[in-house]
Amino acid sequence: METTQTTLIDGSKLIIESLARSGAQAFVAYPITPSNWMYKYGKQRLPLFLAAPDEITTLQWMAGLSATGVMPVTSSAFPGIALMVESINMAYAMELPMVIIITQRLGPSTGSATTGAQGDLSLLKGIISGGYAVPVLSPSDFVDAWTLANEAVRVALKYRTPVFLLTSKEMVMYQRSFDLNRLPTLRSYDYDREIEGEFKPYKPVRNLTPAFVPLGDDNHLTRFTASTHDEDANIRKNDPEALANSKRLQEKLVQNLDDFFHMDLDTVEGARDLILTWGITADAAREAVQQLRSRGKAVDLLTVKTLLPVHPRIYDIIDGYERTFIAEENLNGQFRQILFGEKTSENILGISKIGNMITPPEIIRAVETQKSLQL
Amino acid sequence: MSTTVSTKILTDKKFPFCPGCGHGIAIRNLAKVLQQLGYRPQDVAVVSDIGCSGLIDPLFATHTIHGLHGRSPALGLGVAMGLQQKPGKKTIAFIGDGGATIGLQHILEAARRNVDMTLIVLNNQLYGMTGGQISGLTTRKFKEIIDFETDVPAFNLVHLAHASGARFAARVDHPKQMPEVLKRAVETEGFALIEIASLCTSYAFKRLDELMDVVQEEEVLENPRPATQIRLAERPSLLDRQEIIHKEYEPGRPGRYGFVLAGSAGGGVQSVGKFLATAGMRAGLHATMKGEYPITVGTGFSVAEVIFDHRPIRYTGIDVDFIGVIVTTDGLEKIRKRITPGSRIYLDEKLKDADLPAREVIVRPFTKYVNRKSAALLATAYMLRQEQIIPLEALRETLTKHRLAKVFLETLDKLAELDG
Repeated sequence: METTQTTLIDGSKLIIESLARSGAQAFVAYPITPSNWMYKYGKQRLPLFLAAPDEITTLQWMAGLSATGVMPVTSSAFPGIALMVESINMAYAMELPMVIIITQRLGPSTGSATTGAQGDLSLLKGIISGGYAVPVLSPSDFVDAWTLANEAVRVALKYRTPVFLLTSKEMVMYQRSFDLNRLPTLRSYDYDREIEGEFKPYKPVRNLTPAFVPLGDDNHLTRFTASTHDEDANIRKNDPEALANSKRLQEKLVQNLDDFFHMDLDTVEGARDLILTWGITADAAREAVQQLRSRGKAVDLLTVKTLLPVHPRIYDIIDGYERTFIAEENLNGQFRQILFGEKTSENILGISKIGNMITPPEIIRAVETQKSLQL
Repeated sequence: MSTTVSTKILTDKKFPFCPGCGHGIAIRNLAKVLQQLGYRPQDVAVVSDIGCSGLIDPLFATHTIHGLHGRSPALGLGVAMGLQQKPGKKTIAFIGDGGATIGLQHILEAARRNVDMTLIVLNNQLYGMTGGQISGLTTRKFKEIIDFETDVPAFNLVHLAHASGARFAARVDHPKQMPEVLKRAVETEGFALIEIASLCTSYAFKRLDELMDVVQEEEVLENPRPATQIRLAERPSLLDRQEIIHKEYEPGRPGRYGFVLAGSAGGGVQSVGKFLATAGMRAGLHATMKGEYPITVGTGFSVAEVIFDHRPIRYTGIDVDFIGVIVTTDGLEKIRKRITPGSRIYLDEKLKDADLPAREVIVRPFTKYVNRKSAALLATAYMLRQEQIIPLEALRETLTKHRLAKVFLETLDKLAELDG
């Protein structure tokens, strides 16, 4: 029996294969670099593939499919996501499951389509009008690409919400030797259609989430609406029941955050410095931490994989260190600003860079000099 | 709402429209048509837009979905494609003339795809909710009355939908014609658009005959084509086609090595990068391969970065000294600034005058012995043999498994001539 199944593979393939095995049924997209490998694989693998004429149509078709019980996914980059924003809000308000993959690339605007980045997190923090929380998962390596794609489908279906899988060109458009035996077996998920008592389209049943009845169901009639509404999906302005329903959209995600919060904490004895990172910078941080430790410098590494909503445990961990270095490939330190605002304390330092990946020596330099680094 | 499914298409709710508004006539006629055709409420999904026509979803005792302004044709098409998995269901989308202007692309797309759905366009010549502004479907005759951009004609939506491939596209002006044409639209198997003239008593006219004076002509246009069927199909795993690579050779030298292969589009650089990474894996090394090329993939530079390491590779960048292979001017110019004093470069003879700041530059006439499509492979094979990081045989073995093995192996044979 073989002990390894080593192959040369890219992150796009792992993500799409995982989505297909997890219960995603339709890939709907407009092609855009650097998400185009996922587009290719989506066509090859998902049960339904639709080449949308633009990104607004993409999200509308996805919403229509999801409302009938066909689980959709898409992949895009900032220019496409910008067009999708109103429709993402619609899907969020209607409580329609879907997975939206963002392959981050260098901005602003069209920027550089084939240069990686980690510059779209701030957009996702405020993407829902009113500042409502939306799940954002970000893989830090190929195993994460596999498991978090699965998790994105699970969370989308369980909590009836769009889920973002936030990746980068460097994750999905390069190949590496990889042992397929490292990939865990995935569970497939479906819409939660179990009704308890009288069915109301927006009456929370489990986990502050309503049961799902698809359009066209023979036993129950359902309604979906993007406007402010009560449990019956009647459009209301600012009456208490409708506002409570709107607040529930946030609460179902924040109160159940433990269920989908993912991170890795790598510790050694005596560390007083913490490197915190996410996404594509994690590989450089892992290398930097190993080199620092080999030089006798005790340093710990926190890799956050569920970026939004922000889990309070991140603050608890940071509080245990004298200094925290937050490394991410963007101009101003987007996750750092989400965690601590524009003005941070002396013990929160940033390592930021645009145009190229942050390198291990750059992280090492920041830690050894105890200074922020903006490149 | 009730969970009990009744047989009525409409609820008992009072219509929310202004007195005399034409929208209610269309809704009542549609309900009658659906019942005539035997549709049950659970068989129908009504998709509504924004504006006065967007107030309709509480009036229907069917499935409903209420979305954004101008998007109901696209949302409706998504619903229609999903409902194709459940036979006997019907998607009916509503939109106003303002929404139809925003979502014109969606309408044309739905028409050309011709999936089974009905789109009802309630054209009252204006935006009722925001004060009577004009839309793309407002006729010149009406604009002359209200003195609003009289030199800009209205879209002929029926013609546009027909030209885009709609199975059925019609305009109904007088309410008398409405039941029959609506019935034909709903009966259509494929995309059916019906534009219905509707009276806005608040911002346009009080009387129907005044409206009839300004609307576009009634017509029915058909394309005899079958409805597009949407089916979900199981597809094979992407991993089934992955080549599993086993260690067959011993590496020559342990350590981490970065290779930068630089050439031009069409020169096979990306493939050679992949062959090199795979060859490294055959020698038991960890490997990464990253391509870089302009968005216009058929022209300009093409660069492949490959890393070998006897340890698992974390960081995938090459930011230190590397081994370079440069076979074209495009490739040279792309990586020139990256070349460090510790790098070693294998350079085609045609580029020998390039003043490179590398520790060593090895110049050979690669392009003398092979064409531009094979130069990167020959140069990489030469480099590999000289560096002895992995056996050249690991590369040869990789090439033999390719469908173009014969061509590739002939290129490797040129190494002997290069030596000579």
